[in-house]
Amino acid sequence: MKMIVVFEKAPRLRHIGHLDLMRAMQRALRRSGLPLRYSQGFNPHILLNFAAPLSVGMPGKREIMEVPIEGEMSGEAFMEQLSKALPPDLPCLSARPVEDAHPAPMALLTAALYEARFDTAPPDLEKTVRDYLLQPEIPAIRKTKSGEKPCDLKPMIHLLRCEGDALIMALALSEKATCKPDLLLSSLFDFAKCERPRALVTRLQLLGEKDGVLSPLESL
Amino acid sequence: MNETEIAKLERLLEKVQRPARYTGGEMNAVRKDWKQVKCTFGFCFADTYEIGMSHLGMKILYYLINQRQDALCERVFMPDADMADLMRLEGVPLFSLESRAALNHFDIVGFTLQYEMSYTNILEMLDLGRIPLFGKDRGESDPIVVAGGPCAFNPEPLAPFIDAFMIGDGEDVMHELIDVIRDGRAQGLPRLDILRNLARLEGVYVPALYTVEYNKDGTLRSFSPNDPAAPAVVRKRVVKDLSAAVYPESIPVPYTEIVHDRMVLEIMRGCTRGCRFCQAGMLYRPVRERSMQRLLYLADQLQQSTGYEEMSLSSLSAGDYTCLPQLITALMARYMDKRVGVSLPSMRIDNIVKDSLIASQQVKKSGLTIAPEAGTQRLRDVINKGVTEEDLKRSVTDAFECGWSSVKLYFMMGLPTETDEDLAGIGHLAKTVVDCYYALPKEKRSKNGVKVTVSASVFVPKPFTPFQWAAQDPIPLVHEKQEKLRQYLKLKNVHFNWHESELSMLEACVSRGDRRIGEVIYRAWKRGCRLDSWYEHFQFDQWMAAFQDCHLDPAFYAHRERPYDELLPWQFVDAGVSMAYLRRENEKALRTETTRDCRHGCNGCGLQGWGVCSFVENPPLKDQPERSALLAD
Ligand code: SF4
Repeated sequence: MKMIVVFEKAPRLRHIGHLDLMRAMQRALRRSGLPLRYSQGFNPHILLNFAAPLSVGMPGKREIMEVPIEGEMSGEAFMEQLSKALPPDLPCLSARPVEDAHPAPMALLTAALYEARFDTAPPDLEKTVRDYLLQPEIPAIRKTKSGEKPCDLKPMIHLLRCEGDALIMALALSEKATCKPDLLLSSLFDFAKCERPRALVTRLQLLGEKDGVLSPLESL
Repeated sequence: MNETEIAKLERLLEKVQRPARYTGGEMNAVRKDWKQVKCTFGFCFADTYEIGMSHLGMKILYYLINQRQDALCERVFMPDADMADLMRLEGVPLFSLESRAALNHFDIVGFTLQYEMSYTNILEMLDLGRIPLFGKDRGESDPIVVAGGPCAFNPEPLAPFIDAFMIGDGEDVMHELIDVIRDGRAQGLPRLDILRNLARLEGVYVPALYTVEYNKDGTLRSFSPNDPAAPAVVRKRVVKDLSAAVYPESIPVPYTEIVHDRMVLEIMRGCTRGCRFCQAGMLYRPVRERSMQRLLYLADQLQQSTGYEEMSLSSLSAGDYTCLPQLITALMARYMDKRVGVSLPSMRIDNIVKDSLIASQQVKKSGLTIAPEAGTQRLRDVINKGVTEEDLKRSVTDAFECGWSSVKLYFMMGLPTETDEDLAGIGHLAKTVVDCYYALPKEKRSKNGVKVTVSASVFVPKPFTPFQWAAQDPIPLVHEKQEKLRQYLKLKNVHFNWHESELSMLEACVSRGDRRIGEVIYRAWKRGCRLDSWYEHFQFDQWMAAFQDCHLDPAFYAHRERPYDELLPWQFVDAGVSMAYLRRENEKALRTETTRDCRHGCNGCGLQGWGVCSFVENPPLKDQPERSALLAD
């Protein structure tokens, strides 16, 4: 079977890159003594899949990884054992056993929920957001591996709203379409014709679709 | 740090290269409540995180101090240049990784001295940490700044900046040092009285309590205590029983990649071989082995607490460990199914058994490193490096048969009595290694093809070695030799690396420097020198200008042969090895006479009466005829 594990990458660790985080998780799993599964081949390593890499500099409130294990085990027992092996800034929040045939979290991922917290909130943010979303199309330039591409952000914005001094956004995140929070913030403040204020962006939740509704990925 | 400073730091981290090395929060990092302890220790490493985190001594002391209920220890590293500049600009003090405390908030700030060319970093760290650089300028509320490690055996170049030095094995003295400072602070003793109490501890040197006088020619005239608390001779501390000594059962596991990212088992301390250039070999005497039982226990603890996938065995001469094959076999058996690799860091070519080479290959095939140090047998005899060309051939042939394909060869150039023939000999040995590979039938050797990397460093004479009186080659001569060597090494499958001669020259000045060199270090730092061991930051011209500022000549320190009757700046330290022994060894070197490994009979290095050396009673071993043993004494 395999475990769908939810964990937090606390703000202190936000500068840790994805590869470093994977190695840290591998080592934590090794410390845990859990019945892990290893890859075949000359240099076997622990099997482990992350739903989506986090950008360097971004904390994650509910990140998800999939850990194949040998035999049967309850989510609670798994979580308890793993928790002992994790550093305080990388706590395990839940674990749920699923069958091996269960689709990988990466395959179910469609979007993510973010929070952008500003050092000093820009004036009239509410109005800016409202006007921004009233545009019929939101043209932007997306930087991809194969160069810069014009695109329309509008269909990729599932949610955008102010909450106090912060901005909450649900943006597309999948193989097919991805809008990074960084791109959205640039586009928003370009539209408002003001300088983009410094913000700490946190990924709050990974999302997938269930009956046409965006739902927490770990519950799918 | 206060909240504003932390907010500033958070913003800085978004601008600097590799911010992860400033964030801490690693597995096994120890976070204690400052209010619950009586003494706080900021452990400083005067180089970047990647280097400092690879250092064993720091891990040992970090663990040792944090085991105390009444004290805490947090790590502080040298920030890279971009970070240091931004911190200064934005007003962020140098801070510890654990609780982000400013350096000047610690009761004790301790540096481990691993390399002389990191000394400007110490000044940079003190300055960023808001601690007055000079000991004499520190007030009652400033931390007490201490230092230890191998370079503390000649503490004089840092005497103006360090309040107290710990000489010898740190584990042995650390608790006493902390007790004295904790009690002194609790009783509200003036700083000077705390320093006096420190000076009363064996192995502690408090430079402010000593007066130095110089002759007209610049040599030392006298060196003596100016306070009754200070002893005339400071004797190094020695851990008698390594198996009983504290050793970390858990160590912080970094997120980012560091130089040596693995768990380390120190199997033995000290070395009996007596290579005459090797400072570590002299300083860490006598040899003490950690018992196999203790090592296996520690290996288990470390493996469970870190999850590391690689383990290395560390010692100056790992191959000399009495039960090495048994130890490797036992470790392999234990960790095969846990998928932990076991690797030996550097292998002495003359005694590592083929069996353990084959064994260690099953799990981890790290590069093979061999240090013949000199190109001819004559010069190897001068430096007492008991390695022959036959040994070398046998070892590399074994290694090639076991699947190795790349070999690193380490040499030194500029050793006493070196001639052109010795340089040519380096070329010859490199070629010999390549030939050994091709001498094997195709199916017995790796398909990757052979690669031999030759590194030649510039010889730096060090205190407490038989060559402590020797002159270093001047820079133009070094350049000439490097050019020759390059010609000799224009060989197929051979790569040649050489070292900065300017850096080695400065290393020679500082490592055998006196108190006045402290002023040069200060001037160099003032002129912007820091991170000197990083090629891109090294400013030789500024260092030369610093010497000029102080009216001192680098040649006086580096390129001058010192007479035996000259008072040496480090002579007040009793490192165990006696001046008489060192002199005897130097004279034998000049006569090309070797000295046996003292496992095969005591050579009277000076430690005989200390009650710490287990080989002192050893009668010469008859059943191990060694060429060197036959020639010696
Ligand atoms: S006392 Fe004798 S046996 Fe011990 S380290 Fe010195 S020379 Fe070697």
